[in-house]
Amino acid sequence: MTIVFREVFKKYRSQNALNSMSFTIEEDKITGLIGRNGAGKSTLLKILAGHLRATSGDVQLYGEHPFNNLKVSSNLIFIEDTMSFPPIFKLSELFEMAKDFFPNWQDDLARKLLAYANISDKNHHHNLSKGQKSTFNLIYGLATRCKVTLLDEPMNGMDEAIRSDMYRAILKEYIAYPRTIIISSHHLQEIEHLIEDVLLINHGQAILHAPLEDVKQLLVKLVGNSAKINEYIRSNEIYFEKDSPVSREVVVESTSVASMKNELIQEGISIQPVSASEVCKYLTSQRKGGIDDVFK
Amino acid sequence: MNLNAESSTPIYIQIAEWIENEILADRLISDGKVYSQYQLAEMFNINPATAGKGLTILLENNILYKKRGLGMFVLEGAKEQIVKKRRDEKLTILARDIVMESKRLFVSDEELIELIRKVQKGG
Repeated sequence: MTIVFREVFKKYRSQNALNSMSFTIEEDKITGLIGRNGAGKSTLLKILAGHLRATSGDVQLYGEHPFNNLKVSSNLIFIEDTMSFPPIFKLSELFEMAKDFFPNWQDDLARKLLAYANISDKNHHHNLSKGQKSTFNLIYGLATRCKVTLLDEPMNGMDEAIRSDMYRAILKEYIAYPRTIIISSHHLQEIEHLIEDVLLINHGQAILHAPLEDVKQLLVKLVGNSAKINEYIRSNEIYFEKDSPVSREVVVESTSVASMKNELIQEGISIQPVSASEVCKYLTSQRKGGIDDVFK
Repeated sequence: MNLNAESSTPIYIQIAEWIENEILADRLISDGKVYSQYQLAEMFNINPATAGKGLTILLENNILYKKRGLGMFVLEGAKEQIVKKRRDEKLTILARDIVMESKRLFVSDEELIELIRKVQKGG
């Protein structure tokens, strides 16, 4: 296992940002780290990168504890919004220095990608716009070819066009040089094509860790006559429900309806797929009725 | 070809079906080399593991075979097998859906057959 978290807690004052977080990640996989705002995504990545120390629990990266560990820091790159570089250097000089620090540094790639993104390497990092900063940071992160690459909301502030280009760049670089990548996002849909596994966290805990394709199959939505649906579905199986005067909509686990699929169809109840990002939404939502509950 | 990310058909199944379609159209022939998982990942802009799963399915269904270190190739008779399987599975399911929808819409057998003829003629 490349990455191991075992019952990891992180306390900030009285709050638990991580609350017995446990998971393992295998080498050379791309994992999407998904969770709502405040779920603990950034805390998890910061601990993994060695920027923060866990309050308790076991964190391992290639068998090493990442906090204050030089061996870890030369094999890992953590790309995030607040990354800063020494202000006196131009971007071209930052690349120059990266050569010395990262043994696998791809100078040619870094310069080509930067030119493609229309960012002059004579700029200073602190003078870039928000989107340009994110673009530069991601290019920098890819060019390091670190065995472990952590990307915390890497596309923040980028416009639509450069976003899809940068996703493509991640994929191409990964194919050229496979590495372990964790990419966090609250937009699963945007990274779906890129990732192999989903790690869904909520309130500082890992609540789902599975291949993306399995997540897509996890839940189904039934739509049809309200009385008919209630005949087949018990209320404790329902993840989400919505009633309209003409029909009832419920979201349940695929396995709980697998055996009665044909009967449901015969009864005129339609069975619809639930996308991976909707699955994540339902699994992390507090209320079965969503926002409508608030207005009842 | 574009993949449909919204579809309930998993991406790796869509990849497998795309390769099957290439075989049906004779663009991939018996003992011909098939795209690697990395080529497929690039072509379709997807994770290589997902592309790999598509290839594995075809390997398990005896559509492709593996030569060590060389990649995957189309098995002799693969095309015939795909035709048979699609008729047995996909076409049967489609037919069932059509029949059910026809019932709901009070379409008679004759009307349904007439409709199919019309579609065949490109109407």
